[in-house]
Amino acid sequence: MLNEKPTLKSTGKAFLYLLPMLLITVTFNIYPIIKSFMMSFYTKYDFFTDKVSKIGWDNFTYIFNDPDFHIAVKNTLIFVVGVVPLTVIISLVIALLLNRIKWLSGLFRTVYFLPFVTSTVAIAQVWHWIYNSDYGLLNYFLSLFGVNPISWLESPKYAMLSLIIMSIWKNLGFNIVLFLVGLNNINERYYQAAKIDGANSWHQFTNVTLPLLSPITFLVTINGVIGSFKAFDQIFALFNGNPGPSKSALTIVYYLYQKFYTEWKYGIAAASGVVLFFMILLVTVIQLSYSKKHVHY
Amino acid sequence: MEVTFKDVSLSYDGSREILHHLNFTIPEGTLVSILGPSGCGKSTTLMMISGLLAPTSGKIFFGDKDVTKQDALARKVGMVFQNYALYPHLTVLENIMFPLKMAKVKKPERKKRALELAKLVHVEDQINKKPGALSGGQQQRVAIARALAKEPSLLLLDEPLSNLDARLRIEMREEIRRIQQETGVTTIFVTHDQDEALHISDHIMVLNNGDMQQFSSAETLYDNPSNLFVAKFIGEPVINTLEISDFQGELDQHVPADILKNAVSVGIRPEALQDHDSGSDTIATIETTVKEFEKYGREKNAQLDFHGKKLLTTEIENNLEKDQKLTLYLQKSGFYLFDQDGKRIFGGDQDAK
Repeated sequence: MLNEKPTLKSTGKAFLYLLPMLLITVTFNIYPIIKSFMMSFYTKYDFFTDKVSKIGWDNFTYIFNDPDFHIAVKNTLIFVVGVVPLTVIISLVIALLLNRIKWLSGLFRTVYFLPFVTSTVAIAQVWHWIYNSDYGLLNYFLSLFGVNPISWLESPKYAMLSLIIMSIWKNLGFNIVLFLVGLNNINERYYQAAKIDGANSWHQFTNVTLPLLSPITFLVTINGVIGSFKAFDQIFALFNGNPGPSKSALTIVYYLYQKFYTEWKYGIAAASGVVLFFMILLVTVIQLSYSKKHVHY
Repeated sequence: MEVTFKDVSLSYDGSREILHHLNFTIPEGTLVSILGPSGCGKSTTLMMISGLLAPTSGKIFFGDKDVTKQDALARKVGMVFQNYALYPHLTVLENIMFPLKMAKVKKPERKKRALELAKLVHVEDQINKKPGALSGGQQQRVAIARALAKEPSLLLLDEPLSNLDARLRIEMREEIRRIQQETGVTTIFVTHDQDEALHISDHIMVLNNGDMQQFSSAETLYDNPSNLFVAKFIGEPVINTLEISDFQGELDQHVPADILKNAVSVGIRPEALQDHDSGSDTIATIETTVKEFEKYGREKNAQLDFHGKKLLTTEIENNLEKDQKLTLYLQKSGFYLFDQDGKRIFGGDQDAK
C-alpha cells in the first residue's frame, strides 16, 4: 500500500531486505572506519594480540611534527589541484568533440574509455616507458621541438608533473563517458530556443550547455577530488614501489602505507588516515555548499 | 512582417519530400493558424519560417527580403515551443530577459522591459520562481513573454496549448488573441485543433500531407471548402459524405447535368439536413429512416438511414421515434459536390444565386 504507516513489523521487514548489503557494508566499511578512528589514539598497542596499553594524542602530535607528513600533505594538495580542474576541463572538451562526431562515434568512445578499464599497473608500466629519459616517446617528441631530454621519473622537479599527467590521462575515460551522458540528456529544444533568442554557439555553450551540465560537472569534480586525495596505486606503480625521487611524489595515503606496512606504526598510520578523512570532508562540504548556488538540477 | 513562401519544398533525407511546393503569403499584423492533422508538416513549416530548418528548394521572404539562406539567429523571430523550452536554471524574469541579454541590452533596461512583458502576460507575481514551479498555463505565458521580449516582427507558436487542460486552453487562446491585438505582431499559430484555429485566427491555412489545401478565413473555410479534405476536416460534427451513386435521381433537377456528371463525392453538413421546408433555400428533398435519436441539453442529433448509408443531422425540430420515416430538406448552404480528385465543383459561394 502506498499510504501504509511504518510499523515495527514493516520496518523489521525492510531491515531484513537490507541485511545482506548492510552486513557487507558494516564489516568492510563501517567497522574499519570506527576501528581506525580508535586506532589513531592507540599510543601503545600490540597489533597481534590487539592489546591497547595506552591511548592519547601522541600519534597526532607525531605526524604534525613529522616533516615527511608535511611533504605528504603538500604533495597531495598539489596533486589534487593539478589533476582535478584539468581532468574536468579536458574531459568536457573531448566529450563535446565526441558528441559532434557522427562517423565511427562508437569506436572513438571505446578508445577514450579504454584507460578506465585498463589496470593502473599496466598503464603505469606503459607510461614508465613513455617517460624514459633515454628512449621515451615523450622526450623524443619534445626533441622535435628542440627540448633537451628530461629525466621525468628520476628528477624530483618533474616527478610530480609526470604523475599528474598520467593521472589526468587515466581519469579521462570515465569522466568523458559521464559528460557524454550529460550532454545527451540536454534537450535539443533548449538549443533551438537559445538560437531563436539570439544566442550564438558560444552563448549557447555558456547559457545552456554549462548550466544544464552542472550536475555532471559537480559529480565529476567531487569524484575527482576524492579519488585524487586517495592517490596511491599509480604512484606505487609508476615509481616502482617508491614515493618518487626524494619523496617528491609522497602523498598522504602513501605515507599511511609506509607507516603501516613498512614501519608497523599502526597508530600513526591511523592518525594520518583520520587527518585525510577530515581534509576530504572539509573539501566536500565546501563543494556541496557551493553547489547549492551553482548546480541546477 | 509579411511572410512569403515561394515554391518551398523540404525533404529531410533527400528522397522523401515532407512539404511540397508551398506558396503563400501571410499578411502583416494578422494572426494566422496553420491547421492540419498530425504529421502533415505544420510544425515543419513553422520551423522553416523560424530558420531552424532550411528548405530544400524554394525561397522564403520576410517582406521584400529574401531570408532563405539566413539561420534562426539572423531571422530574429520570436517563437514559443510546444513544450515551452523555458531554461530550467533561470528564473521567470531571467528567462524573459534572456533574449535581451543576447541582444546586449543594458541590465536596468532589460529588467524594465521584462517586467513590462511579465505584466502583459500576467505573470508579474511569479518572476522569481523557476519554470519548474509554475503551472502549464503560467509556463506558456512566460514562453510568450520571452518570445516577445526582443520585439520580434514575427511571433511563432508551435501547438502552444496542447499541454493545457480544456478550460485553460480556452482561456489561453483568448489570451494569445489579446496579446496579439495589443502588440500587433504578425503571429503564426500551429495547431491540430480546429476549434482553436477557428476561434482566434484571422486566416487559417489547412495543410495535409505536406500540401496546402486551403488558405482563407475561418468562415470561408467552413462555408466554401475548396476540397473534400477541408470539408471533412473542418466542422464538428463531421460533414456527412456520400457517394454520388447513393442518390437515385434526387439531385437531377437541381444540379446542372454537366456538373453532376463529374461529381464523385457528396458532402452535406449536418445542419443542412432539416426536417422542415425552408422554401427557396431547399435544394432537394430526401426520404430517410430514423436509426437513432439523441437529445442532450439543447442539442438534438439524429442518425438516419438513407439508401443504406448513414447520415447525421443536428437540425431536428420535433422529437423522433426509432424506425420512423422522415423527409429531409437539403439546404443549399452546406451542400457540396466533389470531383474524383476531391475538388469542390458545386456548392458554396460559387453556386449562390
